Amino acid sequence: MSGATLLSYSLQDLVMFGPDVFLRLFVRVNELLWPWLLVWPIAALILPCLAQSASEWPRRLAMALAGLGWIGCGYLFLVRYYGPINWPATALGWAFVVQGFLLLILKGRVLPAPMAWPTAVAWWLVVIMLPWLSVLQTGDMRALALFGLAPGMTVAASVLLFAAQPAPFRWLFLLLPLAWSLFSAATYWAIETYWLMGYPAAALVLSWFAMVLSPSPARTRDLQSAHPGPGH
Amino acid sequence: MLQLSRRRFLIGAGVGALTLTSPRVFAAADSPRGEAFLTRPIPSTGERIPAIGMGTWITFNVGTDQYLIDQRTRVLETFLANHGTVIDCSPMYGSAADVIGAGLAKLGARDRIFAATKIWTGDGSETRQQAATSERRWGIDRFDLLQIHNLLAWQPHLATLRDMKAEGRVRYLGITTSHGRRHRELARIMETEPLDFVQLTYNVLDREAEERLLPLARERGIAVIVNRPFQGGSLFRRFQSEPLPPWAGEAGASNWAEFFLKFIISHPAVTCAIPATTSVEHMQENMGAMVGPLPDASQRRRMAQYVREL
Repeated sequence: MSGATLLSYSLQDLVMFGPDVFLRLFVRVNELLWPWLLVWPIAALILPCLAQSASEWPRRLAMALAGLGWIGCGYLFLVRYYGPINWPATALGWAFVVQGFLLLILKGRVLPAPMAWPTAVAWWLVVIMLPWLSVLQTGDMRALALFGLAPGMTVAASVLLFAAQPAPFRWLFLLLPLAWSLFSAATYWAIETYWLMGYPAAALVLSWFAMVLSPSPARTRDLQSAHPGPGH
Repeated sequence: MLQLSRRRFLIGAGVGALTLTSPRVFAAADSPRGEAFLTRPIPSTGERIPAIGMGTWITFNVGTDQYLIDQRTRVLETFLANHGTVIDCSPMYGSAADVIGAGLAKLGARDRIFAATKIWTGDGSETRQQAATSERRWGIDRFDLLQIHNLLAWQPHLATLRDMKAEGRVRYLGITTSHGRRHRELARIMETEPLDFVQLTYNVLDREAEERLLPLARERGIAVIVNRPFQGGSLFRRFQSEPLPPWAGEAGASNWAEFFLKFIISHPAVTCAIPATTSVEHMQENMGAMVGPLPDASQRRRMAQYVREL
């Protein structure tokens, strides 16, 4: 296919499903897991308390919870439900699963300092307010987008954790959220589900927010010892 | 697969006789309910197919959602109940082939359709394999029509499709384009290759095909399937709030769906239009375009002008 032919396709031409089919994915995933799906919002509310802890093991647990969330929405929502109507979602879903396992493996090693208070507040606001965007879009309470089950919601919250990481891990973990945000924004635009654009928009804004608020290496005891000064 | 039942044979024979004795391009077959519906001949064989078929782009890609699979099955049921037979799909359309297969199985309708799909792969050696996969997904033994999707690797696919046709693995072969793309290349293929069908985009606003492709199809005896008859639904979004012209009834149109579809199927080169829908009511409206009078050439001009001016 020539470049000119490829460019003649609009975004809408490349999306092979309608909004009704996509929006029902939220309902179907929630119905499948009811009532156990309530575990996820509870875990999402507890996570910042763990991430703010001065001791290491609660922070490890916070990262492990985030990892389980990524595995959950990657496999269930993206691979099993979204993949059959949109093949790139399958590949992205497995990438979510890999990222989730990475979080489980690396755990506390990549959360060197307690989560900052403003970041924790932002997290709570995100997990309380953003689930309703999908309800606004569908007019159906059953379509609530929950952390750990809905990818947009999971990404928007998780970037607050990822952007606060030291440099190598920060960019490693932000790569997939960025890719997902661009992919999903294009999809939502094409199927005209404009309320859902709030998820990728929030992910991008919150990434910047968390990076600004993340403790600098100079203020992080662990990292100070990892970067010896001239006196050592 | 389309099998020749006694009723279908009698309808076909009657329609054939009508065609021979009528100056009209179209033939009308009688339905069991007594209303006439339009059929058009496939030039390469003379076999008649209903002038309205069913597209599945976007509409039938519902994944594993059983609620929506059942709903699309009702759309399919309505299509079949209104004399529809031509169903068009592509491996590109996600789960649409599986949803068609599920619907056909539930309705026991595998032998009542004219099954058309596409070969959509850049690998010219995968023609047979992809056709076999599509057959399995539809739950049928063979397709009536296999088309090369958007001219993709068309030379090797066409060679294989010819072999398959000779072996009886497919009844007709064709090639498709959409959105008005690559018309010049398609015209070259139509001029040089023996084809049973072409599929292209044509509607009351997208009329480029009138210049070269439709006359060429008539000249070369190639059946024409028209995709995107509603411009992917945008014709409704733009015009549905507007009133039909007062003379629409004279052109045989009682709603916008009939207006748009009758404009297309009244072109003498067009064999079949394949609108897609997710709604039973819209399917009924679409199939209504096969019933009643069609606009003549001057009415067609008037229809195009009316829409342009809106």
